[in-house]
Order: sequence, then structure tokens, then C-alpha cells
Amino acid sequence: MNNLEKHTDDLLSKYITSERIEKAPEGFTSKVMTLVRLEKSHLVYEERSWKKNLVPVLSIVVTVLLIVSAYLIPSGKTDPISNPVLSLIKTLKLSFPDVNISSIFRFSLPSVMMYAIIGIIILTVFDRALFRVFHREK
Amino acid sequence: MGYKGDIYYIEQILAGNSNSFSYIVDRHKDKAYNLAFRICGNHEEAEELAQDSFLKAYRSLKSFQMKSSFATWFYRIVYNTSISHVRIKKKGVLSLEDFPADATDFIGSNTTEEEAENEYRSSLVNFALQKINEEERGLVSLYYYEEMNTDEISDITGISKSNIKVKLFRARQKMLEIIEKVEKKKLIYHE
Repeated sequence: MNNLEKHTDDLLSKYITSERIEKAPEGFTSKVMTLVRLEKSHLVYEERSWKKNLVPVLSIVVTVLLIVSAYLIPSGKTDPISNPVLSLIKTLKLSFPDVNISSIFRFSLPSVMMYAIIGIIILTVFDRALFRVFHREK
Repeated sequence: MGYKGDIYYIEQILAGNSNSFSYIVDRHKDKAYNLAFRICGNHEEAEELAQDSFLKAYRSLKSFQMKSSFATWFYRIVYNTSISHVRIKKKGVLSLEDFPADATDFIGSNTTEEEAENEYRSSLVNFALQKINEEERGLVSLYYYEEMNTDEISDITGISKSNIKVKLFRARQKMLEIIEKVEKKKLIYHE
């Protein structure tokens, strides 16, 4: 610091002292903490909304994988791993027994309808179970 | 309970205990508020700027490198927030007539003459600060009020040490010129 700098520094130091620091107003910390808590809840909400979309995202991924694999696997050819499974399925002889609804109601339904209804009920139970897993409140 | 150091509380916050941030706020609030006030020259705006700076620091705590000083990192946020705010909201130029003639204007019902004189000097410095540009205000505040050296100021502002010295010198000269003019006006007023 040269003489001129020293001189101006000394002069200004007469007016400015660190004791004259402006203090933050009363309640400043609590105001900041309120803002921080709002910020925190916002972050939690963001995390939850991401979790909310997990099920549809997984469904889309699985669907895309199935479509892609359907295109990639040549028709009529099976790999050695899936071959025993497929051959087992082919040997299964499925038959749908006729359900005689007409004895109760005055109309008849295709026999497959009973299985479709049972399938829908099972899927509904799965859906509720998965909903509880992914939307569990923390 | 004594203050355990910035890094201790930062680790607590990052571990999920956001309430630890209150210790950091308590520790740095006055200096943050003072720096914001010296740059913007208004108490309400300074409070908002200091709050905003704390919130910005909280949001980006994850990016803070534990090896460096939290105070330097945080004052950089306060400095940049305040400078940007002032640049966006440019105010009209103050004239010498805007400043009260002497200390008697600062005497209230419960103030002594000495207190009024102190208040007058403090307001005079504030007035002079508002007449220089926002960057110079920040530098003067960090150098005189926060008592930082040019190395620390350089870390906060990103301005080189030699440039800080030049800018500080110019700022001092400008402020002293303004203070002298006001003091002369005071003498004329009393004659």
C-alpha cells in the first residue's frame, strides 16, 4: 500500500468500523427456517410424484421389451432354453368345460367367459396389492 | 452448546437433519445481512436478499466442496445475489441535497448527542456507499465491515487481487470526495 492509498485508507477507516455492522432483524433465523421447511416439503413431494409414476413406467418398459422381443425372435424358431417349456405347453390339452348357466338364467354364455371373469378378479387383487406397495405413505 | 463448526452442521443437513441449518443461519446471518445491505442500501431488500442467499445455499449444499471454507462459498452467493439484484433494479442517482445537513437531524427523544453523531457518521458512509457502483460497494463492505483481506475478497468476487486493490483505491477516493462535500455543506449550513 503506497502513501496515498494509506492516507485514503486511514481517512475512510475513521468512518467505517466493523462494529458498525448492520445486524439481521429479529426473527430472521426462524423466517429462513420456515422457507427451508417449505423447500424440504417440496423436495419430498417431488420424490413422491416420481414414485407415483413408477408403475406406469415399469408397465411401459415391459410392454416395449415384449414388442421388441416379438420382432427380434424369428417366428417358428425357439431357443434351446425356452424349447422344453414350449413343448410342455404344446402337450397340454386344455379343454373348457361347459357351464350350464341356462339352468339359472335364461341365457347362455360362452364357456370362456367364466375364466375371463376369474382372470379379471385375480388381476384386480394384484392391482390393489401393487397400489398399496407403491403408494405407501412414509 | 458451542458452535461445532460449519462442516459438522453441513454433514448433519446432508444426512437429512435440515434443522441443523438454523445453526448455520444464526452464525452467518449478520454478516450476510450487512453485506446485502451495503450493496443494496435498503433494509427490506437486504433482508430478502440475505434470506434468498441462505435458501440458495441450502439448495446447493450438495455441490459444496467440504475442503473449502463455507463462509467464502456462502458470501460469494450473497455477493452475487445482491449485485445481480441491484443491476436489475437500477435506482436513480442520489444528490447531496438528499442527505441531512448535520447530526441534529439524527437526535431523537432518547438519543444523546454522541449517539446522534455516530448515527450521522454511519448514515454518511451509507450515503457515500450508495453513490459508488454496486461492485465497489461490495468490495468496500467486504474489506472494511467484514475485515477480509484481498485474497479472501478475490475468492468471493472472482476479481483478481491487483484489480481489487485498484477498485478499492478508486472506491475510497470517491467516497471520501462525497464525504468531504457533505461535510463542506454542513459547514456552510452552520455559517
